[in-house]
Amino acid sequence: MGVGREKLGAVRKVNRAIEYVVANYNIPKQKMCDSGASVFRLQANIKIARKQSHFTEPMKSILINIRKVAIREVNRMSSRWLYILVVLVLPVLTILFFASLFKDGVPTKMPIAIVDLDQTATSRKIARNIDVTPLSTVTKNLQSETEAMSELRTGNIYGFVVIPKNLQADILASRQPVISYYYQNGFLIAGGLMQNDLTLILHTLSGGINIQKREAMGQAENYIMSQVQPIQLSTHQLFNPTANYSVYISTIVLPIMLQLFILLMTVYSIGIEIKEKTSHEWLRLSNKSIFTAITGKLLPYTVIFFTVMMFQNFMLYKVMQIPMHTSLGWLMLGSLFFVLSYQAIGVFFIGLLPLMRHSLNLAAFYGILALTLCGFSFPIEAMPPVFQYWASGFPVRHYMHIFQSQILAGFELRYSILSYLYLLLFLLLPLTIINRLKSALIYQTFIENVHKT
Amino acid sequence: MKNKNTTIFKQISEGFSNTFRIWMREFQLIFSDVGVMILIFAVPLIYPLLYSFIYYPEVVRDLPIAVVDLSNSADSRQFARDLDATPDLKVAISSISMEEAILMFKNSEVRGIVQIPETFSKDIAMQRQTTVSAYADMGFFLYYKALMTGTSFVALETGNQIQINNLMNEGLTDRQAEITAEPVRLVDNAMANQAGGFASYGIPAALILIIQQTLIIAIGILAGTARERHIFGTLVPMDRKKMGTLRLVIGKAAAYFSIYAMLCVYMLGMIPEWFGYGQSADITDLIALITPFILSSIFLGLTLSVIFKNRESSMMLYLFTSIPLLFLSGIIWPLSNFSPVWLAVREIFPSSNAIFGYIKMNSLGASIFETRKEIMSLWIQTGVYFLTACITYGYQVNFSLHLRSELASHPYREIRQKIGIGG
Repeated sequence: MGVGREKLGAVRKVNRAIEYVVANYNIPKQKMCDSGASVFRLQANIKIARKQSHFTEPMKSILINIRKVAIREVNRMSSRWLYILVVLVLPVLTILFFASLFKDGVPTKMPIAIVDLDQTATSRKIARNIDVTPLSTVTKNLQSETEAMSELRTGNIYGFVVIPKNLQADILASRQPVISYYYQNGFLIAGGLMQNDLTLILHTLSGGINIQKREAMGQAENYIMSQVQPIQLSTHQLFNPTANYSVYISTIVLPIMLQLFILLMTVYSIGIEIKEKTSHEWLRLSNKSIFTAITGKLLPYTVIFFTVMMFQNFMLYKVMQIPMHTSLGWLMLGSLFFVLSYQAIGVFFIGLLPLMRHSLNLAAFYGILALTLCGFSFPIEAMPPVFQYWASGFPVRHYMHIFQSQILAGFELRYSILSYLYLLLFLLLPLTIINRLKSALIYQTFIENVHKT
Repeated sequence: MKNKNTTIFKQISEGFSNTFRIWMREFQLIFSDVGVMILIFAVPLIYPLLYSFIYYPEVVRDLPIAVVDLSNSADSRQFARDLDATPDLKVAISSISMEEAILMFKNSEVRGIVQIPETFSKDIAMQRQTTVSAYADMGFFLYYKALMTGTSFVALETGNQIQINNLMNEGLTDRQAEITAEPVRLVDNAMANQAGGFASYGIPAALILIIQQTLIIAIGILAGTARERHIFGTLVPMDRKKMGTLRLVIGKAAAYFSIYAMLCVYMLGMIPEWFGYGQSADITDLIALITPFILSSIFLGLTLSVIFKNRESSMMLYLFTSIPLLFLSGIIWPLSNFSPVWLAVREIFPSSNAIFGYIKMNSLGASIFETRKEIMSLWIQTGVYFLTACITYGYQVNFSLHLRSELASHPYREIRQKIGIGG
């Protein structure tokens, strides 16, 4: 027993000695170990051989370090509620929110009113015809225009139609009566739809009166149509058969929401190490390589955010039935690039402003601006030129182009390949601040001044 | 009797001076924190300007389209010229094949295609109905809208003219023909935002939302910082003297209210005037709407602030609501299509009613009476969130007090010194 313990102690001593020599005199370990054949040396050899792999295969050691950092990060993530909320709970909740909000696809039954000052068979027929369109439903029959206007201002109705007094008589006497319609144009979708709907239905009714008159004159049906509507307009939606607002809105808003979470989380996960002065421990695990450190740290988030994004795609293309004209592989590649490019931007922000309070503000500012500058609400080509260039600095804009061109319309790859490259270009961004970030991690000079009271 | 009166008077004056002290202390906290200063001042100052410049063109004009003219006749060329003459469309190229047009569409060189059939001119001459096809880009709502507005206008006008010509050939007078073709005249009245400018849709909502979100996040940041700064992580400092809950809540609210009242003059007064967004609202009407809005946002912020344990927490956990809240307000998706669940969630946040009310007032000139539902809801929210703020802060005050008395009996002198007892 005594001897065994002695041997073990000796092995440790030898090991330490070898390590010391290797570290200080830069002599390959192999040489040190081959020079003798004592029992102690042999046992030491076995241990060293295990360690040698680190030195002979640098790639493998980097991978092991990345794994170590990643495991540390997962442990950190499970230590605070904030992580779980931001990477998983809130993103999934927003996905469900938008999926549920736009489940109808197209607004239906928007309330409108009719002011029927005529009260004849003709006016009642017009009122009925307006009511049967799927978009709007007549909820109120009002007595005067002022009353209807007040209802519109109150927000109870989105529009109203005024049928004038003596409508029927005027039509019969060919005095061309005037039907006015009003709609709330302060809302983009509701206003636009209301205008289209009311214009269409009233034009049809007006045409109907024309047809009736001509029928009374004894004209043939074919002839009447050619006269009443000589040019018919048939509308086709190119490469997307569904006129569905989910397609416009959810497909872009969901990536915008996700990029917000990715940006904030990336900045936070690195910034908190600076703030809480744990950056030395982090760097030590990665063998003082900033690349290993960042890769290992962000890897768990890449996996989670990518999974969330695929869940989002599942909701969009499977549950909400938005047409998808590309293979799963491309969809995954696009999603992966999207996540990676935003992580790169997050690293860039925290490197630029290592004080977390400022880099979080910057990330928030940039993240919220994406809603405007990705060009989904207002087309980029219509913006002032300065902002058109600025818009290229948002990965979501390139992702949106991939979505519209490749996924939704099913165009060939060459029309969207440039957008994939743009997304990859963002990965180079952290290189510009990598040294600044490393020195911030090492010297911990960016300490937030907190006076304990 | 006299004695009692003086004590009450003394108490009241002490209450006021304490409230004032907390108010000034909050000012000091806000103005000494660069991060919060950026959030409260830079964001409300810069965002409205930035949005206004980005959306400056307001509408999509001269959307580039391709005309596939299979007829290639005088009539069809006139039709293409008419399309070009509309403010919405610009014919980038005509007389090409459908394949070429689609290729240009894929390259985003054109945003829509109009196809005129081979028989166009012959159909018109033979008095047959002809069909013009429009192919729209569904990727952008505004492109779709521009193409539809432009082509349907030209199709209707041209068709009308053909009908009138035909009728006049049959021997009707000009006026008779017109009335036959259009037995009822239709008058289109767009209320609010007549031009359909995009900035006028989006910016009023953004202004209101910025007020609420910066307020709640700033209050959360300061609460998180207070917890980080105070030893033992309490929200309310463990001062020797007990801080009255009511004084604390009112004092803090007064600080934010005074700052945001001034910001509103800029955001809701100057910005709409500079950039010409609807400004039909009367100043007293606006004050009636915005006062309960700011108050309820402050009290909601104070209520929520107790859950933020760190400085970053509010930004991390609350910022994301900005985009869903924009949709919840009902300006993008009509409220009549909301499920009851989302209508209920909508009522939690002051911004929903404030955005709706502000747009009504500002663009339609709605009066206080016509905005009564929104104003009432905002006052109810103010009341409810004031109570919740008092309850949560009351709990925090008592917690600090309790912790202090517990620590006072702690054997370690060091701790007693830290909280200011003995030693």
